[in-house]
Order: sequence, then C-alpha cells, then structure tokens
Amino acid sequence: MNLDWLDAFLISGLFDIAMVTGLALLLHLQLGLARIANFGVVGFWGLGMYTYGVLYIQVDWTIADPWRFLICAAAGTIVAGLAGLLVGWLIADLDDDGVLVGTLGFATAVFILATTEQDLTGGAIGMGGLRFPFDVGSTKANESLWLLILVLLVAAILFYVARVHRSPYGRLLVALGDNEPLARSLGKATFRVKLGQFALGSAGMGLLGVMFGVMERFLETSNLGINLTLAAIVGLVVGGTARVWGPLVGVLFTVGLFDIVIQSYLPLPRSWYNQAIPVLREMAFGAALIIVLLYRPFGILGDMRRDKLMRRIHGD
Amino acid sequence: MDLEFLKESIVIGLAEHAPLVLAAIGFALLYRLTGLINVAYSETVTLGAYFGMWLNTTFSLNFYTVLVPAGLLAGLVSVGTYFAIFRPAKRRNVGALELIIMSFGLSIFLRHGLQFVFGYPVRFYDVPPPTSIKVLGVGVSSFRLLAVASVAALALALYWFIQRSSFGLQIRALASDEDLARASGIRPLVVTVLIWFIAGVAGGMAGAFYGVGSNVAPLLGWRQFLLILLVVLVGGAKNLGGVIIAGVGTGIALTAMTLQLGQVLYGDLILITAFIIILKVRGRRMAETGKV
Repeated sequence: MNLDWLDAFLISGLFDIAMVTGLALLLHLQLGLARIANFGVVGFWGLGMYTYGVLYIQVDWTIADPWRFLICAAAGTIVAGLAGLLVGWLIADLDDDGVLVGTLGFATAVFILATTEQDLTGGAIGMGGLRFPFDVGSTKANESLWLLILVLLVAAILFYVARVHRSPYGRLLVALGDNEPLARSLGKATFRVKLGQFALGSAGMGLLGVMFGVMERFLETSNLGINLTLAAIVGLVVGGTARVWGPLVGVLFTVGLFDIVIQSYLPLPRSWYNQAIPVLREMAFGAALIIVLLYRPFGILGDMRRDKLMRRIHGD
Repeated sequence: MDLEFLKESIVIGLAEHAPLVLAAIGFALLYRLTGLINVAYSETVTLGAYFGMWLNTTFSLNFYTVLVPAGLLAGLVSVGTYFAIFRPAKRRNVGALELIIMSFGLSIFLRHGLQFVFGYPVRFYDVPPPTSIKVLGVGVSSFRLLAVASVAALALALYWFIQRSSFGLQIRALASDEDLARASGIRPLVVTVLIWFIAGVAGGMAGAFYGVGSNVAPLLGWRQFLLILLVVLVGGAKNLGGVIIAGVGTGIALTAMTLQLGQVLYGDLILITAFIIILKVRGRRMAETGKV
C-alpha cells in the first residue's frame, strides 16, 4: 500500500486525535453520564505512561518484546486503575468542589512525583530508551502500525461506550448523574458504581498513556500539564457530553481542526507556529468551552437520544 | 522540636506565603457569595502580577505605588468576567458543574490571551535589590517583610469590611438567603458586583506580591490555584478567620517541610494529600454558600 501521503506530521496529528478521542470517550462515561468532574485526566494518563516507562527501562528484563511490552503495559494500566480506585474512593461522596480538588490534586501529585523521582523517571530532563514492541522496517512503518493499533483500541472503547449507553448499567450512570440521592434511595449502590466506573475509566486512560509513551519513545514531565485534560474536556463538551459519538465529533472539530487543518493546510507565516498558533489553540479551546456551555449546552450533537425500548414505550 | 527550626519555619513561612492568605481571602469571598469554584480566579492573580509589572516597568514606578492600581485593574477584570460570562450563565440557569467547566475555559482563555498583550517571555519587576533584616534571628529580605505587613493590613481590612461594615452585612445576608436579602432592601447586583471587585482586588494584589517575589509568567496564578482552593475548602468559606488561619498554617507547614525534606515539591505533595484526606473525612462541604 502506498503511504507516501502519510508524513510524520500527519501521523503525529492523527495519533493525537485518536488518543484524545479515547480519553474523551472515557471521560464521557464519567462526566457526561455520571457527572463526575474528572479534571485529573492527565494524571491517570501520565501514571500509566510513567509506570510503563519506568518498568520498561529500569527493570533488568530477561524476556524480550513483545512480552516485555505487554507486561509493562498491563502494569501501567493496572496501576492507573488502582489509582482511580483510590481517588474514586476519596471523591465519590464529595460534591463537585471536592471532586475538582481531588482529581486536580491527583494530577499535581503525579507531576510532582515524575519531577522529583529523577533516578526513576529522569525528572525534568526526561527519560529515553523506549521503543516499539515490534520492528516492521522503517520508523514510519512502525509509527503507522502503532497508529493503527491505537485506532483499533479507540474503536474498542467506542464500542464499549455504545454498549454501556444501551445497557441498564448506562441508565444507572445517567440516573446517578441526574439525582444521586434518589438513585440511592431506590436501593442502587451508587458509591460502588461510581467507584467502579472511575477505576475502569482511569485504567483506560492509563493504557492510552502507555500507547503515547511508546509512540514518543521519550517521557517528559512537560507532557503532564493541564493541556491534555483541556483537550479531552473540550472535545467532549463541543461534540456533546450526552452522546456516544460526541467525543469523536468534538475532537475532530477542535484538535483535528487545529492540529491538522490549521497546522498543515492553512498558508500561515512560519513564525506563527512556534508560539502564536499553540497559544491561539488553547485560547480557542477555552472560548469554545464558554460559548458551547452558554449557548448550546449539549454540544454539536445535542441531547441524548432515548434508546429504542424507551422510544417504543413513549411512542416516539 | 528544634527551636531554631521552628523559628525559621514561622518567619520564612509567613514571609514566603503571605500572598497565599490574601488570595485565599479573595477566593473565599467569591465562593461564599456565589457557591462557585471560579477556576479563572487563578488568572485574576496572574493578571495582578502582569498589571503591576507593566505599571512598574512602563512608568518607572516603585512597587508600592503600583500595588493598589494593579489590584484595582484586576478587580475590574474580575467584574468584567462576571458581566460577560457568569451573569449570563446564571440567567440561563447553567448548572454548577457546567459553571466550573466554564470558569476553567475562561481560565485557559485568559492565561493564553494575556500572552498576546504582554508578550511570551517571562517578565520581571524592576525593583532595587532588598536588604536583609533579622527577625527572631532569621534573615528576611526587607521587601518580604513589607509584603507580610501589607498582606496582614489588607487581610485585616477585608476581614473588618466583611464582618463589621454594613456592606459586609449585606454581603453575608445575600450569601445566606438571596430572596430574604432582596426583600430587606438589599440590591443584589450592587453587592454582587462589589464582591467580584473586592475578590479581584485581593487576587490581583496577591499576584503582584507573587510576581515581585520571583517572576511574572502565564502560569503564576495556576501554580497557586490548588493551594488557594484547598486553603479555602479546608479553612471554611463561612468564616474568613478560618481561611486566614488555614492560609498561615499552610505557609508555615510548607516551609517546615521544605526545610526538613530539602525539596519544595515534597511539601506540596504532603499538603495536597493531607488536605484531600481532611475533605474526605469531613465529608460534603458546608451548606452555607449562596447562588448568585
């Protein structure tokens, strides 16, 4: 297959879109349905990435890839999930303020540990030595295959989210987000459900962090800023917090627009790309959050559609 | 405990973290009245630092001359955000969670937008090198000492204004019960604008103190935001005294841990963990916050 059109910049842009879509889909279950305001997305993502990277580099492995990769990736995912369980336990019975503090605090804690534990993580200097768990030829071929694997992973997440939407569990998440005391009074185990959802979502975010670490082959604490959380939230809000396809549509309209269309195809002065465009991107994302929530709170795709059963019952 | 260590923790902690108390008071006022966790408050702090730096370097004014104007300008921006975003949002019955996300969006917008106005590089105040003064045997720069005195005076003035003045009474009445306050002749808009302004002034002045103590950068306020938020939630927005005590305690504890562990980030980590556990143990937040 001729892949000449797929240059390194496009691979990187598409990888970012797929990864942020995956994060926004997971956030959709937490924030969109259960209304748990996870502002610490980058913390779980970063924990997965660093756990994978530290194990891969610092442990004296006697086995080779792909088993070495699979063990490290599984560890990154599990550690992020366990962190989600802990943070979820801390915040599950707090209101939005407490959730904001808890999740932001967790992301800050991950950043601090990644910065201070230099012997393990390389600190602010960063840590190299990571590589793909396969070698199919050139760097471009490896990156393209890794992008394909990520797209398949995100498609699986999309499939899972769509299944949750149509399931009793999904309706429970919606009920929990709408009126948690009422759901609890009806005998639903709201605390356990929130905890489970938070841990599972966090594990997924950790796995996406692992994918990013492999693609970058170099771990830097500068990746642990708020920008990634912002991109996931903006994608979700712009596309529609209540709809399965909302995250994908939103991320295409935001990250896709800036990271591919504007960066690649608009005839802008080269000097703008260093500082002006990234700054403008973040400004636009911030403004999009305000404008969408003020004037179209359910985003581009609008409010949730009731599933077939409910539509039949109500004669819609 | 070593007396020398205790003295150093208290003196340096107060000197280094005095602006935290001021910023937390401003944030608490807003939180108490509106019930809103305004993430964009971090940019009020940042803008205060930028306004002060701009006045200081452009007009060659000394720091204490620019402190009040910097605070006033930040206050005006704060009121501007209320009219442009939060008032329309209230009228459209935007939910509490969505308001937090909107304020997050505003925070990002301002943080990056100010770089188009003030430029991308890190900026510095143009101030003379401070002299060192011994307090309880611990050397502190004259400048930091003046900052502590200024913050203490401003904090006390704000405390008196909210707890003792008639306007303060109106603010507290509005926070407790908007309908009852309105029936009593209180004009919610005037009081609300006033509180957004005062909060902005306090945040802006805190930012100017932060900025002159190190440098002025877009992330200045954001780096302090989590601590400000934790101090307010743990100290309790119901009583400004609690916020002041929590702020002072946080500053001293941070310094003590930094001295002990040799790494400022470890102190941050321990405090963040401790505060979140306190919030967990305490459970849901107090009921007394308004919805203006």
